[in-house]
Formats: sequence, structure tokens, C-alpha cells
Amino acid sequence: MDFINIFIKSAFIENMILAYFLGMCSYLAVSKSIKTAFGLGLAVIFVLGITIPINWLINEYLLGENGIFHTDLTFLRFILFIAVIASMVQLVEMVIEKFSPALYTSLGIFLPLITVNCAILGGSLFMVSREYNFTQSVAFGLGGGFGWFLAIVAIAAIREKMRYSQVPAPLRGLGMAFILTGLMGIAFMSLMGIDPAALAGK
Amino acid sequence: MGLLEFAKKLEPDKKKSPFLHTVYDGFFTFLFTPNTVTRGGVHVRDAMDLKRTMTFVVLALMLPFVFGTYNIGQQHFMAIGQHTGYFEALHLKLVFGLIKIVPIWVVSMVVGLGIEFYFANRKGHGIEEGFLVTGALIPLIMPPDIPLWILTVSIVFAVILGKEAFGGTGMNIWNIALLSRVFVFFAYPTTISGDTVWVAGFDQLAPGAAVDYGWADYLFNGLFNAFGWSTFNDSAHITDAFTGATPLGIAAHAGWHEVTEVYAPSQMWWGVIPGSIGETSKPLILIGALMLIVTGIASWRIMAGMILGAALVALGLNAWGATPFMEVPWYYQFYMGSFFFAMAFMATDPVTGSNTPRGKWIYGFLIGCIGMVIRVLNPAYPEGWMLAILLLNTFVPLIDYLVVQSNITKRLKRA
Repeated sequence: MDFINIFIKSAFIENMILAYFLGMCSYLAVSKSIKTAFGLGLAVIFVLGITIPINWLINEYLLGENGIFHTDLTFLRFILFIAVIASMVQLVEMVIEKFSPALYTSLGIFLPLITVNCAILGGSLFMVSREYNFTQSVAFGLGGGFGWFLAIVAIAAIREKMRYSQVPAPLRGLGMAFILTGLMGIAFMSLMGIDPAALAGK
Repeated sequence: MGLLEFAKKLEPDKKKSPFLHTVYDGFFTFLFTPNTVTRGGVHVRDAMDLKRTMTFVVLALMLPFVFGTYNIGQQHFMAIGQHTGYFEALHLKLVFGLIKIVPIWVVSMVVGLGIEFYFANRKGHGIEEGFLVTGALIPLIMPPDIPLWILTVSIVFAVILGKEAFGGTGMNIWNIALLSRVFVFFAYPTTISGDTVWVAGFDQLAPGAAVDYGWADYLFNGLFNAFGWSTFNDSAHITDAFTGATPLGIAAHAGWHEVTEVYAPSQMWWGVIPGSIGETSKPLILIGALMLIVTGIASWRIMAGMILGAALVALGLNAWGATPFMEVPWYYQFYMGSFFFAMAFMATDPVTGSNTPRGKWIYGFLIGCIGMVIRVLNPAYPEGWMLAILLLNTFVPLIDYLVVQSNITKRLKRA
């Protein structure tokens, strides 16, 4: 039950993009077509879903005072988290290059840039500050990734549809993407305020 | 052809005053379908052009409009305990309703159409009629006492950012009327939610507060006296039994039983309850919905999907039954709030709604589910349909894309 609650909460209610506005650069840049957005979204789900539990293990058993070194090593947190993320992204990159070269070329620089996607590091840091346990952090990683995926696929579909609209010249491209993101944020506020944990307790 | 000749005589010169000509053209095409036709490519030509479609939706909205006007007055007089019978002193109720609704209507039309005219002139195309429907919808979804400057700001926001930035009529992704309402809802929440905004004509809504007619009683009392009719009584006060809470507001914290102690179910069905101006009367809205279905403007699939989704979730909540609100019998959920108004006029918007038949079912069904979830499970908002429709508007392009793609793969397999 806890797993589902956190999944729903991180995917819909506290969406990484539309509630926290994290991971905006690749969200804005790769959302021109649904196919690439779909691929990047899957990659983000994978990376978030893997790195957050790994980082949880690192944070718990290496860095904490109860860890194997018995000293407070939390000042190493950022470096280690980023190292884990970078290696996972490298893995994803190699897999995509091997199995879907077309997607690999269309994602271009934004695939390795998942490393510095703030949603990924943000996810790991939220996991620490919210003091999740292991299952919760798995749920949080998958849910946060799914929310990010949903948002980027939705905006990509909107932007594909808008290819036929006569957007005023100064707003074409990125300007419109910002307006779209803002309006999507308003639409996503519909679910904010629901507390799955409190409801499950009733 | 007297009218045509008369209209042609008025036509301003296109080169000398392009703005006047754009405005003239906008009104002229109301009376006559233009005889220019498109060239090149395949086009569907039909007498039911954009202007006729829009006019028809406005016609379908007229019944809720008239009832809303009456209901503003009825709620006011019920609050002060005078003329509480539904058919007593109709002249007072209608005049009072008109005093409230006409400024809202005029502001929404002038501001919205002003922006529309400005952009049409600037872009050098004819006036697009999209705002007619939006401008007719906006007064119906606002509380009767909304400050006019807030209304203006919200319409400017919705029309410029929600429509003109997207390239004008037919290009918007989100429903413009709902965008303007959601803007008020999040920017000025105290004017559009809570128990104290749905009954008009008082400086504050609490038992004992005095009525505030402004200039209305000076102007109309002499007239009504001359006919020997009853007049506005400006020394009246709100009765002690008055609460001002909407049925949904009561149900949210106390459950259905408490609601029926204040409002009878038939009263809720006919719509003599506090609420946004046009949302309350269910039968009249359903007549409008029927008109739209028969003429093919609104999709029955979306409406059916929405009813199905809402009913299923409400049944599920009945089974769960953890709070008094969840235990409200599922069929009574439709008696409260704005479900039918949202279903008939908001979700079925052909621009922002789904375009594929299967997509319409999915779209309507999800609005029904999510709207009911927001209404009952989200303590932050009193009602769910506005936000559910906006949320599903976001996903409409994705739904349509997936439906089209699944058709493509199905046919490829068959080949």
C-alpha cells in the first residue's frame, strides 16, 4: 500500500516537472516529437528507478554513521550520487546505441545530459531529505520517472499538434513551450492536495 | 434583399479604415454566409459554418442564462426571507438578476471581443467567432458577485495566453472559458470558493447583514410602485437560518443527510440552489445538451463516457465509504455541483476535446473518473470538473495520437 501511495504521489501529485519544475532543459529541448520524447522518458524512468535505490544503499551503508565506516561521510554525498547517476546513464547510452541507433541519433547530446538532468539528482536528494526507506525509494524513483515521462510525452503530443497552428512569430519554439508548461502546471494542480497516505489510513 | 442592400451601404472602405472593415465584416457574416469559397485541396463545404455552429451553442446556453438570472434573484430573496415562493415577485427577482448578470456579460463580451478585434486586425484576417461561445460561457461559470476587474484580468489572461498565443480560434489546447475561471480560482480564491460568494447583493454574507442594492431601488421602486407591484426593501436583513453553503460544501464535511435538511433533492435538481450563475438547473442544461447532440455539435460519446466514469467512481466510493462525503448515494452526486454543465458545454468543446471516436470515449470516461476523485477525495477543492477537464485537455493530443497509432498498427497487421 505504501508503495502505491508513494508512486501515485510522486507521479501525479508532486510531478517532477509540473510541480517542482525540475529537469526542464531536456524536457523543453527533446519534446518536439512524440517518438524521441517517448524514448527519453523511458530512459529517465530507468535511470531514476535504478539510481535512487542505489543511492539509498550508498547513503545508508557507506555514508551514514551506522554505515561500514562508522563516520559521518555525508559531505561525499553529491559526488557519489553523481558518480552513480553518470555510470547508469552511460549504461543506458550503450544499450540504446546498440538496440536503437535511430533513437540514439535523435536524442543526440541530451542522452548523456541526463546525467546533469536536475530531476535525477533532485530525486536522490529528495529521497534523502524525506527519509524514505528502501521500498519507498524504489516507489519514489519509478513514480517520479513515470511522472516525468507522462509530462514530456504529453507536451510532445501538444507540440506535434501545434505544428499546424499559426503561433505568433516571437513565440514560436521555446516561447510557446514555456507557456505550454505553465498551463500544464495549472492543469496538474487539480490533483495537488490529495494525500493518498491519509486516505489509505481511513 | 432589403437587408443585404442596407448592410452593403454601411460597409466601410477596406483600404481607408481596415479596422472598421474588420469589425463590419465580423457583424455582416452574422446575417449572411459569405460567398467566398476555398481554393485548392479538399474542403468540406457546409451551410453550418463556424459562425452558425457558434451561434447555435449560444442558443443552447440561453435557457441556463434565463434561469441563472432568475436564480440570482431567488437566492437573494430567500436569504432575506422575502418572497420565498418560487413564483412570487418574479419582476423583482429578474430585475435583480439582470442587474448582476448584465455587467458580467457586458464586461466579458467587451474585453474578450476587444482583444479578438485587435488581433484580427493586426493579423489581417477576419474576426474569428470563437469568443462568442467563450463570452457566453464565462458569465455562466462565475459567481454572481464577482468583482468586474477580476473578471477582466482573468479574461485577458485566458484569451491572450490561452488562445491568441496559440494562433487564434480552433488552435487552443485548453478550454478558454475554463482557463479564465481557473485563473480566478487560483489567483483570487476568496472570490470564487467557499460559502460566502454564491448569493449576491450583500456587503457581507452572514446572518443579520444588510442588503446592498446600490442604485437599483431608487431606479426601480418608483416604477414598480406605479404598477402597484412589490418593491425592493432596502432595510431587509439576512435571516438567522441562512447559511449560504452550497450542497457540495455541506456534503463535503457532513454528508448527504445534512444536505437534505437544507435543500430538498427536487430543489437541487431544478436548480434553486446557490452556485455559479448557470450551473444549477439540471433539466435546462440537459435540454441544451440535447440540442447540441441532435445538431451534431457536441459529441454524445464524450457525455456518455463522462457519466459512465463519474458513476463508476461514485459507486466505488460508496463501497469504500470512509468519509460522509463518500457515502453520498452515487446518483445524488449528479444533483450537486456543476457536473451536467461541465458535461454539456465544457468537455464537449470540439476544439479542445478529443477528435477520434475511441478517443472521445477515453477522454470523457477519464474526465468523469478524475473529476469525481477530485470532488470527493481532494480536500483542497470544492468541485472537480473544471480541473479534470483542464487536466484531460492536456492529454487530448496524446490520446488522439495513441488511437491513431493503434489503428495504423491494426491495419498493418490486417494487410
